[in-house]
Amino acid sequence: MTLGSKSLAAAVVGIYGFILLPLIVVVGVSFNTSSRFDFPPEGLSLRWYHSLFDQPSFLHAFLNVSVAAGLVTAVVATLLGGLAAVALVRFRFPGRGFLEAFFLTPLVVPHILLGAALYLYFARLRLSASFATLVISHILIATPYVVRNVFAGLVGLDPRIEEAAVNLGASRFRAFLLVALPQLRSSLVSSIVFAFIVSFSDINVALFVSGPETTTLPVYLFSQIQWQSDPSVAAASTIQIVLVALVVAGLQKVFRARIGI
Amino acid sequence: MTAIVQPDRRHIALWGVALAAPNALYLTLVLLIPLGMVATYSFFTYSTTGVALPVLTIANYAKLGDPYFLRLIGRTVGIAVKTTIICIFLGYPLAYALARARPTLATLGFFLLLTPLMVSPVVRAIGWFVLLDRNGLVNSVLMYFGADRQELLFNEPAVLLGLSHLLLPFMVLPLVASIERIPPNVEEAARNLGAGGLGVFRKVILPLSLPGLVSGAVLVYVEAASAFVLPALLGGRFVRMIGNEVFDALLVSYNIPQASMLTVMLIVLTIGVLGTGLALSRRGTVGRSAP
Repeated sequence: MTLGSKSLAAAVVGIYGFILLPLIVVVGVSFNTSSRFDFPPEGLSLRWYHSLFDQPSFLHAFLNVSVAAGLVTAVVATLLGGLAAVALVRFRFPGRGFLEAFFLTPLVVPHILLGAALYLYFARLRLSASFATLVISHILIATPYVVRNVFAGLVGLDPRIEEAAVNLGASRFRAFLLVALPQLRSSLVSSIVFAFIVSFSDINVALFVSGPETTTLPVYLFSQIQWQSDPSVAAASTIQIVLVALVVAGLQKVFRARIGI
Repeated sequence: MTAIVQPDRRHIALWGVALAAPNALYLTLVLLIPLGMVATYSFFTYSTTGVALPVLTIANYAKLGDPYFLRLIGRTVGIAVKTTIICIFLGYPLAYALARARPTLATLGFFLLLTPLMVSPVVRAIGWFVLLDRNGLVNSVLMYFGADRQELLFNEPAVLLGLSHLLLPFMVLPLVASIERIPPNVEEAARNLGAGGLGVFRKVILPLSLPGLVSGAVLVYVEAASAFVLPALLGGRFVRMIGNEVFDALLVSYNIPQASMLTVMLIVLTIGVLGTGLALSRRGTVGRSAP
């Protein structure tokens, strides 16, 4: 590191403080004994975790809605996006360039627009907000990440290995299945994880398409913080922070490299 | 090199179309048609009983002349621009350090940057809620130094803090990608020729990382202009942005044509800028191709 090393290092530490402080105080407040957002906490207790796990609405939002929707989204988005990426990299057909841009559009359209449009669309189709409308919407916002990940994975493959298999008598399809697919493992794993996280942390779309029975964890937190904010909200947030941190660390460990967005 | 066994070309094209079709169909049904519907609704007439009357009108757009809506648009664009500027100032030092750090340090740096990015915006807003609360950390520090307890929430600075925090990674990641491509010996050359730290930044890093800066700035601006969870929580009733107005028109007052018009405005204010930015950054990359 050069370029005025000391002042740069100080600036970077300060900026990381800015990035991490809001998360640190949330974790701190969640162990508070008092019923306010006192920081530093007056004393340490697990009181708010107990009160959180006593609320059936939290458990429902966390497990039955958020985790479940994340899993379904991850599987379907990886299938849709994975096939699309294979088509874009491995085949030449009319309209390919257009589709390449089209498949990434959910990434550039602000999510509140998607949420508003889907809300009206489902109303028009007389579909009331349900688990299905939630998952349909989350698959939409998750597929671009899959397309990008698998696309990059496919481009990085060495075509000679597959050619060797073809020369040894395998069909193109069989060569892809037995040679290319195992090498795509890391792209596929990160696609599944990314799709899960996109669904799990989304609020902008979920606010419009999740109904009273299908409140996701972020939507639950959104209404809690507006109406009755006690540290149990911080406890629920802490659970999300820990889960996400474990997933990111796991991904970094698996790929021993940094993961891009 | 060995020859590849090539099946006939039409056969290949067909497979490509077949594999891309499910996703293309999905995006058409769940993205294109809904957005087209919103655009149509924005020209329909407000109805107190149904969704909207299919009578074409420009009355919804005429409302944009209203001082209330003009202020709303001005506030939204202002907050988005300010957020972008804050993110540029915070993003450059961080991106430079990450691009030039040793691999182990960089891994830690990316972990600490990506984890907050993937935590839900609500959770991060709650973090600011706790920090700026009447009993929160900032007030504790202020009172320790003898100041009075302050109401720090529900104003524009709180929204700016929250949005900059939320969107900083969107600025840093493209900047890192750009700065990594600048060979360190170009910096050394500038330094040997007598440039100081700021000089190197102004003459070498800034011009050569311009494409990353533009794409980061566009991302941050678009996300900030379309924010509504952060202003709803940290701005309360006082700092309303277009997103909040869309949300309320849809789910509270049920004025579908007005919500649709505001949605279209948001598309113009965001994707319009996005397109211009991308065009600019492309010209930028061609004009000053990095070594």
